[in-house]
Amino acid sequence: MDELELLKKDWQENQKFPKLSKQEIYALLHKKSSSIVKWVFILSLIEFGFWTILGFFIKDNEAQQRFDSYEMDHITIPLIVVGYLILGYFFIRFYKNYKKISSTDSVKLLMKNILDTRKTVKYYVLFNLVFLYVSLIIAVVIETNNNTDFQLITSKFTETNEYLMMYGIVALLTLLMMVALTGILLGFYYLVYGILLKRLKKNYKVLKKIEG
Amino acid sequence: MKSTKEIEFVTLVQEHQNLIHKICRLYTNSDAEHKDLFQEITIQLWKAYPKFRGDAKFSTWMYRVGINTAISLYRKSKRRIQSFSFDDVSYKIPQTETYDDTQDQQLKSIYAALNHLDDISKAVIFLYLEDKNYKEISETIGISEVNARVKMNRIKKKLKTQLNP
Repeated sequence: MDELELLKKDWQENQKFPKLSKQEIYALLHKKSSSIVKWVFILSLIEFGFWTILGFFIKDNEAQQRFDSYEMDHITIPLIVVGYLILGYFFIRFYKNYKKISSTDSVKLLMKNILDTRKTVKYYVLFNLVFLYVSLIIAVVIETNNNTDFQLITSKFTETNEYLMMYGIVALLTLLMMVALTGILLGFYYLVYGILLKRLKKNYKVLKKIEG
Repeated sequence: MKSTKEIEFVTLVQEHQNLIHKICRLYTNSDAEHKDLFQEITIQLWKAYPKFRGDAKFSTWMYRVGINTAISLYRKSKRRIQSFSFDDVSYKIPQTETYDDTQDQQLKSIYAALNHLDDISKAVIFLYLEDKNYKEISETIGISEVNARVKMNRIKKKLKTQLNP
C-alpha cells in the first residue's frame, strides 16, 4: 500500500481524542481572568509607589513642616506603621489571588477566585477610605490643638461666646473635605480598578451561565 | 449580548474540537505540548471570533486560524533547542484496532517522517489528510493552488526518500 494512502486511512480512522466539556473549554479561556487579576496586583503596587513618591514630594512643603514641628510622632508613626502593615496584607492577598487563578483548571474554583478578588479589591478600597478619614480627623485635631493662628481665632470666638459656632464651622469644613476626598479617591479607584472589576464580573456571569 | 456570543463560541468550539486536536497531533510531540497548543488555538480563535462574519463555514475558519496559530508557535519553538524522547514520539502514534506489526512499524516511520517536515508542509499534508482539495488547501494556507500542488509533490517525494532510503 502506498505510504500516503496508509497514512490517510490511519488518520481518518484513528481520531480518538479526549472530549472536552463546554466548562473545560471556557476554563481554557480563563487566561483573560488570570491576566485581569495579575493587573489588579501590578496596579496595587504601582499605586503604592505613586503615593509613596507623592509623599516624598510634599515632605518639604510648608504645611508638612509645620505639622512635623508639633512633634506628634507618637501618634503619626504608629498610624503609618499600621497603614503599611495592612497594605502589605492586601498586596499578599492580591498576589495569592493571582497565583491561584493562574493555576486552576476548574471552573468552580475560577468562579470562586473571581469573587474573592472582587471582594479583596472592595475591602482594599474601603480600607483606604477609612484610613483616609481616620488620618484626616487626627490631622484636624492635632492642627486645631497646636496651630497658633487657629488658637488666636479660637480665643476671639471664645470672647464673644461663639466658640460652638466656630467648632461647627471646623466640623463642617472637615466634612466637606471628607466628601471631596472621597469623591476624588473613589473616582481614582473607579478608573484604576473599576474597569478591571467589571470585566471580571462579566467573565463570572458567563461562567455561571455555562455552569448552569 | 456579549455573554451570549461567548456561549455561542464555546458551543461551536466544543462541536468542532476534534479539528483542533488533529492540528495539535501533527504539530506537537508530547501530551503537555498538545494541551498547550490546544489552549493557544482556542484563545486565538476567541480573539479572532469578532472578525468571523459567518460567510465561511465555522470549521473552514477554524482550520485557517488553527493552522496559523500552530505555524507561528512552531516557528517560535524552532528557536529553542528541541529534544524528543522515543516516548514523546510514540505518544503520537495511535493504536490501530487490528494489530499488524508491519503496518504498525510502517505507520510509526511515516509519523516520524512527518515530524521532520517544515511548518507549511505540515499544514499542506494535514489538509490533504482531511480530504481537502488543492483549492481549499491554497485558500486555507494562503498560497496559490499551483504552489500547493508543487508542495504536495515535494512532500510525497521527501516522504518516499525518508521511508525508503
